[in-house]
Amino acid sequence: MSGLHSRVIVIEDEKQIRSFVCEALEQAGCQVFEAETGAQGLVEAGTRKPDIVILDLGLPDRDGVEVVRDLRSWSSVPVLILSARADETDKIEALDAGADDYLTKPFGIGELLARVRALLRRKSRLAGDGSAIADFGGVTVDMVRRSVTRHGEPIHLTPIEYRLLCALLASEGRVLTHRQLLRDVWGPTHVESNHYLRVFVGHLRQKLEADPAQPRHILTETGVGYRFHL
Amino acid sequence: MIEGTRRTTLNRPRNYLLAAGACGAMALMALPLRPYLDLVNIVMLFLLTVFLVSWRLEQGPAVLAAFLSVALFDFFFVPPHLTFAVTDIQYLLTFAVMLVVALLTGQMTAGLRRQARMARFEEKRTRALYEMARALSGALRLSEVVAILRDFLRDIVQADAVLLIPDAHGELHPQDGTRVPYELRLAAAVYDGDADDRRASKAMDGVCYYPLRGSTRIRGVLAVAPLDDEVLLQEDQPLLEAVASLIAIAVERLHYVDVAQQAEVQMASERLRSSVLSALSHDLRTPLTILVGLADTLSLSRPPLAGKQQVMAEAVRDQSMRISGLVENLLDMARLHAGQVRLRREWQPLEEVVGASLKLLEHALETHPVRVELAPDLPLLEFDAVLIERVLCNLLENAAKYSSAGASVEISARQNGAMVEISVCDSGSGIPSGRQDRIFDMFVRGVPESPTPGVGLGLAICRAIVEAHGGTISAANREPAGACFMFTLPVGNPPEINEESLPPEAAT
Repeated sequence: MSGLHSRVIVIEDEKQIRSFVCEALEQAGCQVFEAETGAQGLVEAGTRKPDIVILDLGLPDRDGVEVVRDLRSWSSVPVLILSARADETDKIEALDAGADDYLTKPFGIGELLARVRALLRRKSRLAGDGSAIADFGGVTVDMVRRSVTRHGEPIHLTPIEYRLLCALLASEGRVLTHRQLLRDVWGPTHVESNHYLRVFVGHLRQKLEADPAQPRHILTETGVGYRFHL
Repeated sequence: MIEGTRRTTLNRPRNYLLAAGACGAMALMALPLRPYLDLVNIVMLFLLTVFLVSWRLEQGPAVLAAFLSVALFDFFFVPPHLTFAVTDIQYLLTFAVMLVVALLTGQMTAGLRRQARMARFEEKRTRALYEMARALSGALRLSEVVAILRDFLRDIVQADAVLLIPDAHGELHPQDGTRVPYELRLAAAVYDGDADDRRASKAMDGVCYYPLRGSTRIRGVLAVAPLDDEVLLQEDQPLLEAVASLIAIAVERLHYVDVAQQAEVQMASERLRSSVLSALSHDLRTPLTILVGLADTLSLSRPPLAGKQQVMAEAVRDQSMRISGLVENLLDMARLHAGQVRLRREWQPLEEVVGASLKLLEHALETHPVRVELAPDLPLLEFDAVLIERVLCNLLENAAKYSSAGASVEISARQNGAMVEISVCDSGSGIPSGRQDRIFDMFVRGVPESPTPGVGLGLAICRAIVEAHGGTISAANREPAGACFMFTLPVGNPPEINEESLPPEAAT
C-alpha cells in the first residue's frame, strides 16, 4: 500500500470503530490523531493542522452537523462524515454545512481508504496550479475557451448545462447536494426546484456519458445529490 | 320575565281583602275625629290610605281602595251622614277629584313598584348568566357543561334542556338522558342551518331549538323545553340565545382541548416510535460496523493471513454485511408498517434512479449482463427516489440471486395510459406456479426451504413502497425461462421545464 503521508483526525465516540479506522489509516501511512468528542475533535483540528477530518455524526456531546459548521468557520480541511443514520436528511445537513463526503455504517476499510484518497487527491490538486483543462471518458473540457469535445468532436452545451458541468468539475470527488448545485447554477432563489436540476443532469449525461442509464462520471447519490468522478 | 311577577302577586284575593280592610279601618279611625277635623283633611287621610295600599299591594287592590274610599267618605263623612245622598252638589267635585287622584296615585306607585321588581329580576338573571359563563369557563367535560346549563335554566327560566352534539358522521346525539321531548328531525334541520336562519325554531310542543354557533361551524343544537306545562315566553328568547352562544363557546373550547390532547398523544407516540426505530438502527449498526471493520482489518493484516484464514475473514465480513441488509429490511418494514415513512416525492426522470440502483448493485450483478430499455419519451415521475431505488435494488438483487451466472437481467419501462410500467426480468428458474401472488406477503418465499439466502421481506417492502406511491406490483413467469416483476407508478401532472429559463445574471 502506498503511503499517504497525511495527517488525519478521527472523531468517533465508539472505541472499537475508532481503533480499526485508525489502524487502517496508520497502515496506509497516515499520521492519525484520535478524538472521542466533538469538542476534543475541534481542539485537535485547531492544533494538528490535519489534511483530512473523519467525523462521526452521532457524537455524545454535540451534533455532528454543528461540529462541521464550527470547523468550516475557520478551516477548509476536507471532512468525511461517518453516519449511522439511514435518514438522508442528516447527511444532507452535514454536506450543506460544508462536509465533503459521507460513508454510511457499516462500511468496509477498502471503501473508507478510497474516499480518503479521493479527498486527499482533490486537496493536492486544488493546491497545485489548477489546470483549465479536464479530461474524462473521452470528453475534454477547456474552461478557458469554454469548449467541450468528445472524442475530438465538439459538443454543444447550453449555458445552463455548461455551468452545471463546471460546478460538478470544480467539486470533483465531493458530494454536492441538490441545494448546493441549484444555488451555484440557478442562483439562491431556485434552491427548491430539484426537478430542474435532475432534468439538466439527465441532459448532460445524454451528451457526455457513454451509457446515460449507467453513468460512469456524473454519479447519483440518491436522495442526497451528485458526485462527479473523473 | 313577567311570569315571575304574575305568579307572586296576581290571583290573590287576599290583597283585595287587605285593601278593603285598610279602607274600613281608616273610616273607623276617622269617625271619632269627625267633629274635630275638616272634611278636606278626612279626604287627605283616605288618599293616604289609597297610596299606602298601592305602594304595598298591587294595582287591582289600589283601584278597589280608590272606589271604596270615595264610597266610605260619602257614606260616613259627607252630610247627611250614613247615606250616599249628598246635599251640597259641590261634594260631587270632591268625589271626582278624590277618585282621579286615588286612581292615578295607585297606578303610578304600582308602575314604579313593577319597574323596581323588573330591575331586580333582570339583575338576578344577568348575575345568573354571568355566574354560568364563569362556571362554563372552568368546565372540563361535556357533562359538566350540561349540568351547569340545566341548573341555570331550571332556576331562571323554569325550563329544562338537552344538548345535541354531532358525532364524527354529523349525527346528533343527546348528551344526557333528559326528558326533553325534542324531535331529532327538527334539531337536525337547525344543525344543518335549514331552519330559517338566526332564529331559534319553535316546535308545536313548546320545545325551542337553538344552534350552537362556534367560530368555524355549528357545534351542536340546544333544545329547551319549559317545565310543568308552562310556555316559553317571547321575552325569554334573547336570554336563551345568549345562553346558546355561551354554551357554543364552551363546547367549542372543549372540542379544541380534545383536539390538542389527541394531537399531543399522537405526536408523543410517533416520536417514541421513531426514536425507538432509530435507536434500534443505531444500536444494530454499531456492532455490525465493528464486525465488518475488524474482519477487514484481519484480511488486510500483515503478514497476510494464510489462505484458509483469509477466506474466513472475508466470510465474516460478507455475512456481517448481509445481516446489515436484513436489519435494514426489517427496520424499513417496521417503518413502512408503522406509517412512519413520509414519502419525499419529487419530480424526476426514472433513468436516474435506475442508474443509481445498477451502480449500487454493481458487485451483485457482476456476472449478469444487464440490458436497460427505457422508452425515450418517458415523462417525469413524482416519487421518493430513495424508496424507489430500494424497490429496484430488491428486484435486481432477486434477479441476480435466482438466476445462474451469465444469465441476463433486463430493466424496461414504458408508459401505458396514466401509468408507467417498470419491469425487471431475469432468465432464472422463475416463480413456482401458484405462488405469484403470495410472494409479496411478508416472510413468504418462492421456495420455502431454498438454499438461496433470504427471509422473504424484500418483495413485501417493494409492495408497501409501490402501493404508498399509488401503484401496483405483480409477478409473472416468462418463456422460455425466468421471472418478470412489474410495478407501476402514476404519471400525474409533470411540471413544465422551460429549457433555458435562466435568471438574467446566470445567462452570461
